[in-house]
Amino acid sequence: MRISTANAFDNGIDILSRRQAEMTSLQDQLTTGKRISKASDDPAAAARAERARASIGRAETSQRAVEASKVMMTQAESNLGNADTLLQRARELLVSAGNASYGDSERASIANELQSLRQQLFAVANQSDGAGTYLFGGQGATQKPFIDTPTGVKYVAATGQTVTENGTGLSLTTDGELAWLQARTGNGVFVASAAPTVLNATIDSGSVTNPSALTGADYTLQFTVGSVTTYAVLKNGLPTAVTAAPYVSGQAIAVDGMTVAVSGTPATGDQFQIAPSTPTLGVFGVLDQAVAALKTPGRTSAQVAQANADGLRDVDAVLGHLQAARSATGQVLNRIDSETDRLDNQKLASDSERSNAEDVDMVHAISDFQNKQSGYDAALKSYAMVQRLSLFQYVNGG
Amino acid sequence: MTANYAALQTTGNNVANANTAGYSRQSVELATAFSQQTGSGFFGKGVDVATVTRAHSDFLTREAATTASLAAADAARSSQLQQLETVFPTGEAGLGYAAQQMFNAFVDVSNKPQDASARQVVLSRIGDLAARFRGASDQIDSIQAGIAQDLRTSVASINSLTTRIADLNRRIANVQGTGHSPNDLLDQRDTAIADLSKIAQVTTVGAADGTVGVFLGGAQKLVLGGEATALTALADPFDPAKVQIGITEGGTTRAFPDGFIVGGSVAGLLRVQNHDLGDARGLIGQIASAIAGSLNAQQALGLDLGQPSGPGAPLLSVGAASVAPSSNNAQAGGVPVASYVNGLGVRVSSVSIAVVSTSELQPSDYELVADPSMPAGSYRLTRLSDGTAQTVSDGSVVDGFRIDIAAPAPAARDRFLLQPVSQATRSIVRTLDDPKGIAAAAPVTASVTAANTGTAAVASLAAVSASINPNLKATITFTDNSGNFSYSLVDTTSALPTANGTGSLIAGQPIALNGFELRLNGTPLAGDTLTVAKTAFPAGDNGNANALLALRDATFVGERTISPGVVAPGVNVTDAYASALAAIGVRVQSASYAADQSAAIAGDAKSAVAEKSGVNLDEEAARLIQYQQSYQAAAKLLQVAQSVFDSLLQIGR
Repeated sequence: MRISTANAFDNGIDILSRRQAEMTSLQDQLTTGKRISKASDDPAAAARAERARASIGRAETSQRAVEASKVMMTQAESNLGNADTLLQRARELLVSAGNASYGDSERASIANELQSLRQQLFAVANQSDGAGTYLFGGQGATQKPFIDTPTGVKYVAATGQTVTENGTGLSLTTDGELAWLQARTGNGVFVASAAPTVLNATIDSGSVTNPSALTGADYTLQFTVGSVTTYAVLKNGLPTAVTAAPYVSGQAIAVDGMTVAVSGTPATGDQFQIAPSTPTLGVFGVLDQAVAALKTPGRTSAQVAQANADGLRDVDAVLGHLQAARSATGQVLNRIDSETDRLDNQKLASDSERSNAEDVDMVHAISDFQNKQSGYDAALKSYAMVQRLSLFQYVNGG
Repeated sequence: MTANYAALQTTGNNVANANTAGYSRQSVELATAFSQQTGSGFFGKGVDVATVTRAHSDFLTREAATTASLAAADAARSSQLQQLETVFPTGEAGLGYAAQQMFNAFVDVSNKPQDASARQVVLSRIGDLAARFRGASDQIDSIQAGIAQDLRTSVASINSLTTRIADLNRRIANVQGTGHSPNDLLDQRDTAIADLSKIAQVTTVGAADGTVGVFLGGAQKLVLGGEATALTALADPFDPAKVQIGITEGGTTRAFPDGFIVGGSVAGLLRVQNHDLGDARGLIGQIASAIAGSLNAQQALGLDLGQPSGPGAPLLSVGAASVAPSSNNAQAGGVPVASYVNGLGVRVSSVSIAVVSTSELQPSDYELVADPSMPAGSYRLTRLSDGTAQTVSDGSVVDGFRIDIAAPAPAARDRFLLQPVSQATRSIVRTLDDPKGIAAAAPVTASVTAANTGTAAVASLAAVSASINPNLKATITFTDNSGNFSYSLVDTTSALPTANGTGSLIAGQPIALNGFELRLNGTPLAGDTLTVAKTAFPAGDNGNANALLALRDATFVGERTISPGVVAPGVNVTDAYASALAAIGVRVQSASYAADQSAAIAGDAKSAVAEKSGVNLDEEAARLIQYQQSYQAAAKLLQVAQSVFDSLLQIGR
């Protein structure tokens, strides 16, 4: 085989420059730490890295939503905690108002204190996060969600909850109407109440004895005092089989799966109503009613006792309802924690996926680089040695 | 002695030209001089220089030219594609990342719908995305401009080389009669042909008079004898920014068809121009159109923060779908037949297209041809990305766009290039500047009545149709425990009569009424009610912001209608960009492998030629010594002859 000298030089230079290019590209990988700097380095891995990067971005975005929800829910939780404390205080006041030795003036001062608690609770319910979002603003409110009206406190925001993006779906606000204004009246199933004209008898809150016998109708207990005191039970205003049952104070009266107990000495014409419970009991309504009752002078002791018992029953109902709202908020906070963990894991997994796809394996790359380096070294040396050989040198020497 | 001197001179010439490109090693052909016949036999009369020949193989030379030509084509394509690849960067510099960032920015609006800064961030991200798309488009334009410039320069080089070959042909033919081969002229011509091959692959045919004919693409003559035919660079009939190569013969100019030139840098450049750039433009145009379409549609479904709040105005505007008529279409009175003056006094093409579904657009251009063999009103439409053809007429909807053909109808054989997406990114801009304009609120909100006894809660409520009338308050009342319900739609403005109806809840399907879709969690019981009413406080609602954010996972790129009503889902933005990136990456990779491979083959062919024709200095050194010794021997012979003669003279003295 003949070798053309010029071609041999060309080839030698070609090979050297190719080796140099390979080394530069390896060095690039080593310095940037990336195996892929452009898609053509490994198209499939580049696409994989692209998807992994999007997944990281998605996790980070969801994390922001979770953070936002956490801020709001933490505040809502602590506000509901405050409300709980305030209502507990109100309950204590109502209990103390039942003190038989108290007169109208003591009760009026208790009423004043209750009123101030009510104002504080109102402020708590209208709390904002300090950046224009109301904690109990439901599905959006541009002004305070609770307002006082002549007929009581109204919820003027949209009911429901604002939630974060679909992936997390965590609450951003709490449904104020549900938490503050929609406790169930009475004992949760029915409401036993005395007519305002009843002076010397009281009715307890009653209980359910047979849930399957409940009808959901309105009942009236109508008392007649003759030789003995008897009562009749009316259903939706119509007479029932019970027309003249004998009355014993404090004894349970059973009506269609419910029992109530009337105590004291009812007069002829005294009526007690038993109506189905409705989710309409509001914190403020309960307190307003209690305040109004306590401020009413000259009531009989039975009226005072009835009002106190009703007030306590209702405060307990709204308290329980607020606590339920608080525990729902706590649940959300729990979910936020697990959601945060999940997103962290997702991000980590995506990050390692991205890294696997596009990062360089340092050990491998360094060993490759050293390999290429010695190859280049050998190429340079052999090139220099071979190119020094020329017959002309020997001819000249000879 | 003279012969040896000539040999020495030739060797010297070889040594001197060792590094001259295209030089073929020459050697002196020595022949025994005709011997002298005497009575005692034939006496040799020495040596003659017959001629000087060059070490040359036609086959190897042609092989080297062809392989170099293919290598040049691959190298040109590879280097242009590497530039194109920078339009599709990976990672944070990429379009996919910018699109994700844009969608993700809606999370802050969702978290705090009334926060002006979060809204401003969304607007900036949209602006950034639009700028990146424009940047990508500009980059493709500048690659196109570079290719057009290269092609024009290449045509000039081809013409100068063919002129030179024709000139050499003439000079070679002139000395043909002398019986000696004009080695240096032949070398020069071979070099010129090799140079020409690197630009455009040619075939050569030798003639008896020593000239060669040079042909392009196997048929088109470039050089015949002493005559060269010049090529011209022509503007593409559809797009003046593109360059085609053509020829002017007999007064008519015609362009070579695509793929006519198979090798040489010109072939690589044309392939990038005619295929790769268009595909890249289609890919980014498809993504941009789909993003803009979905984003604007979702934005229009929401309510902004205006006073009063109304449906959101478009966020992004992309370049309109366009039609480019061929400049070769039939003309009448100086204007194209298939054109008319529209209401604005502008002459427009009769063929126009309008995008009807951005999510079904495909990354391709289309060619519409008025084929005279088809019935009137029918046209052949070819999707250029995969070559599938179909018959269309006025009003046909193909791949998300509608073709409108107005009167006057196109003349037979008229051609139109339909570009539903490839112009989209040229002028993509953000069209909303007011942060209040982002429609974060859903037009309607659902609420569950507190007295409900069942566990049904609202899982999601989405406005899905622009026809939604927010003033209609929908009340849904479940009539039994198995999901049957009755509903009423009451117009709160009393403009419309109340509509009533019944329906039933089917697992996995939403309740669709009045342009919204309501999904429930839990089980409703008889008597439970739900209401869906106009959003009371758009400032505080984030329903549509969540829907806009959810677009990041929506598969709205490249849906395909398989049959009416059956749509194969597309992919989401990330996947669309990732596959565009991979598609271009694979092209660059394979082009670069092809370039490496063909360069290696060309290198081998070149070495083979060099083995045959190249100068080896060691060999020449050896020859030098050989001829020097012969010369010395011949000189010695003279010395001997002189001494013989001297001896004779001595005798005679």
